[in-house]
Amino acid sequence: MKNYFEEIGAWPHSHGIARAYVAGFVLSLALTLGAYVLVAQHALPQVRLVAAIVAAALVQFIVQVVCFLHLGRGSASRKRLVIFGFAILVVGILVSGSLWIMFSLNLRMMPDASQMEQYMQSQGGF
Amino acid sequence: MMETQAHASDTLSPEERAADSTAVFGFWAYLMTDLVLFASLFAVFAVLRGPAFGGSSMGNIFNLPYVLIETIALLTSSFTCGLALLAARADKVQAAILLLSTTFVLGAAFVGMEVSEFTRLVAQGYGPSHSGFLSAYFTLVGTHGLHVAVGLLWLLSLTIAILKRGFSRGNMRKLALFSLFWHFLDIVWIFIFTIVYLMGAL
Repeated sequence: MKNYFEEIGAWPHSHGIARAYVAGFVLSLALTLGAYVLVAQHALPQVRLVAAIVAAALVQFIVQVVCFLHLGRGSASRKRLVIFGFAILVVGILVSGSLWIMFSLNLRMMPDASQMEQYMQSQGGF
Repeated sequence: MMETQAHASDTLSPEERAADSTAVFGFWAYLMTDLVLFASLFAVFAVLRGPAFGGSSMGNIFNLPYVLIETIALLTSSFTCGLALLAARADKVQAAILLLSTTFVLGAAFVGMEVSEFTRLVAQGYGPSHSGFLSAYFTLVGTHGLHVAVGLLWLLSLTIAILKRGFSRGNMRKLALFSLFWHFLDIVWIFIFTIVYLMGAL
């Protein structure tokens, strides 16, 4: 079963697989520790800190998908890439849509002072 | 050329290749649906984190260095799982068993640490019924932990199968599918670590 993983399309090719695992591990470790140190030290202002750790997570996501799951070139890989892309689309719609709806709802549920005043005057208090 | 072990032939017939490629593709499709499951749990968590009772001040109930060790254990187990596939490709049974056992120990350490963290939180009164934030937290992190625990059972049976029959076609297929599952769980954990724990500590 020498070339089994290549034959069934789990690996795109034989060369560079070992290097991909090592590179994936080292990069993931560096990104994890980097994000952790940034947060532990409060090294940046709040907004930039959130942006930095989200960026580190997204880079690590791509690193592990390419180096560990071997998604990339090759015909077997392309078939997997298609449903992967579709799943990412669904995930994007699901997460951003939920946040959009709920935060918008949240905003509308909390009237500001002028709206409150208007309500009090029209109703003669609560 | 390596010595062949118990298996009859060293190459796949076209039918076998088609069947096992389909198995990989089908398992991949399952993982993508699992990704959507985790995405909906992330959406619930993100929605309940801010406005729910006590949500935004909950970050300091977690122990960040502890979670970092958990994270590194899972990441390293993902790496050793990949190395086990390389050992299998080189037909090295002992090396593969050693690497799979390491993967198992690290995965078990991860689950053990998570269970003990959950126990500590519940004992301190921060159980899932405490707030919407904690309900979402336990559902998201618990679902991931349950996946890892199921993965450990699978890994155990796979390791025993390799000890018994070596790198047969069936064992190689299971190894390929298991590695996809295990790497996938580590990828989901990147976002749990970042969104739940790191952002929670800010």
